[in-house]
Amino acid sequence: MKKIANPIRHGIRIVLDWTRGHKARVAVLVLVLALIAPRPVKSQFFDPCCAIMAAGLSTISSTLSSVIGGGLNGILSIEQTISSFEQTVVWPRSLIAQAQALVGSLQGTNNQIQGVIQIPVNSATLPTSQQLENNLLSANSGQIGQTGADYVAVYGPVPAANAAPTEVRNEVDMTDAAAQAAMKRAIEIDQLADLEIQAANQINQSIQTAAPGSAPIIEAQADAWLVRANAYTQAATADLMRVRAIALANNGEDVKSGSTNTAALGQQLLNLLKRQ
Amino acid sequence: MTAVFFLLFSWFMVTAKTRRRVFAVALAGTVAATLIAPPRVQAQGSLWVAIQGVLNVINGTIHTALNSINSVRSTISSFYQGAVWPVQLINQAKAQVTQMITQYRNLMEGIFTINLSSATLPTPQALESVMRNHQTSDFGTLATNYTNNYQAVPGATGASSDDRNLTDMDDALAMDNLKTLKATDDADDLTLSVADQIEDGAGEAAPGSAPFLTATAIAASVQSQALTQKMLAAELRQEAAALAHANALRKSGATSTGQLGTEIQNLLKHN
Repeated sequence: MKKIANPIRHGIRIVLDWTRGHKARVAVLVLVLALIAPRPVKSQFFDPCCAIMAAGLSTISSTLSSVIGGGLNGILSIEQTISSFEQTVVWPRSLIAQAQALVGSLQGTNNQIQGVIQIPVNSATLPTSQQLENNLLSANSGQIGQTGADYVAVYGPVPAANAAPTEVRNEVDMTDAAAQAAMKRAIEIDQLADLEIQAANQINQSIQTAAPGSAPIIEAQADAWLVRANAYTQAATADLMRVRAIALANNGEDVKSGSTNTAALGQQLLNLLKRQ
Repeated sequence: MTAVFFLLFSWFMVTAKTRRRVFAVALAGTVAATLIAPPRVQAQGSLWVAIQGVLNVINGTIHTALNSINSVRSTISSFYQGAVWPVQLINQAKAQVTQMITQYRNLMEGIFTINLSSATLPTPQALESVMRNHQTSDFGTLATNYTNNYQAVPGATGASSDDRNLTDMDDALAMDNLKTLKATDDADDLTLSVADQIEDGAGEAAPGSAPFLTATAIAASVQSQALTQKMLAAELRQEAAALAHANALRKSGATSTGQLGTEIQNLLKHN
């Protein structure tokens, strides 16, 4: 024991001697040791901090379940009600399919109408009138340039200047103009009507593949076509009214000419009688 | 790591020979010890404040937000079911469609199909019958019956070329229109059947399927408008031809009058 104790005592004495001689160095060593010394670790079981944290987390968990979970469940329930309502009342898939099928079956009827309206109705028997009739029933606006010549071939030209009085020539020319314009308008309207029928069929076909959300867009387009068709109908009606107005004007002109001619004839007869 | 650092630092401090070296080692060691020193433990009170803060957010902001969303969705749901698409009114509308079909369809069909034929003699009766039969397969019969009633165009020796062309054109346009009317009568029947089918569909539709029917109804309206235009075009041709016919007679009359005047003047000169 003594053999071991003596060197230890000797070592301690050396350290103490060195410490007394180097107080500043010892102070620095103590300071550094204090700075780097490890802090005590908190126990997971007995530390009050962990207990507080566990209680806090437990409270957070229950609060999340009750407040957020409960709120989200409430929202989910309402969303499910809305979803069910929309799928069974507003946009039931079966009724949408049924409507699309109906549109498809109407397409067949529309094709029938298109076929009926395309049946030729030509009836003239003589070459000259056949040519005019072909032109009038062509439904081809490219043929309008030929209408005037075909018309004159059937109804004759305006009398030459030396063949009729100016008033009569004006009346005849105006009447021919109104009649020809009406015939040309009829060619235009026939072609436009064909295009409208074609467009209506296209629209009907696109409805068959539409969705409830896109159908109103097609509906809006169809509405636009209807407005356009109304405008063409009005244009045709306008030409019809012009033809009738010219016919009425001709009646008036005939009465005016008749009375003027009658007065002139009376005057001529008086003059003739006076000479005799 | 910390022990190794402290042993090295102690070694350098003990073995340092000069004061300057001691000072340098002390300074370096202190700075290094400050840098690697473990952080201070937080006070227990601040953890509780943090947890309480989270709970406050959940119970305050999030709870309020969820309640608001719930309230808005409930309002939307009520609005859909009570104001936009009330099932009761949807059913009422469909019932009205069905009721109106029952009330009007047969009545109107009965009115529309009343026989309007009025001719009394066999030949006009035959023409009238074929004119109004809504068929497009008997245009030949129409032409025959028309000719029976209004006579054929005179032969080449029976009238002047002008008169023959004029009468042929009159007959042609009259017959064209009668044929067109037979076609449009047929198309009208089909259009009415389209209207019936769309109305039947409306009686079974849902708010979401109705736009399909509306769109196809408008497309059918466009087609119907086109048929009206076809009829109007035929009417235009007919009216124009009547005007042209009268004008052709006027031209002929003016030419004949001029020729008559010249003849009379020549006659008076001879006397």
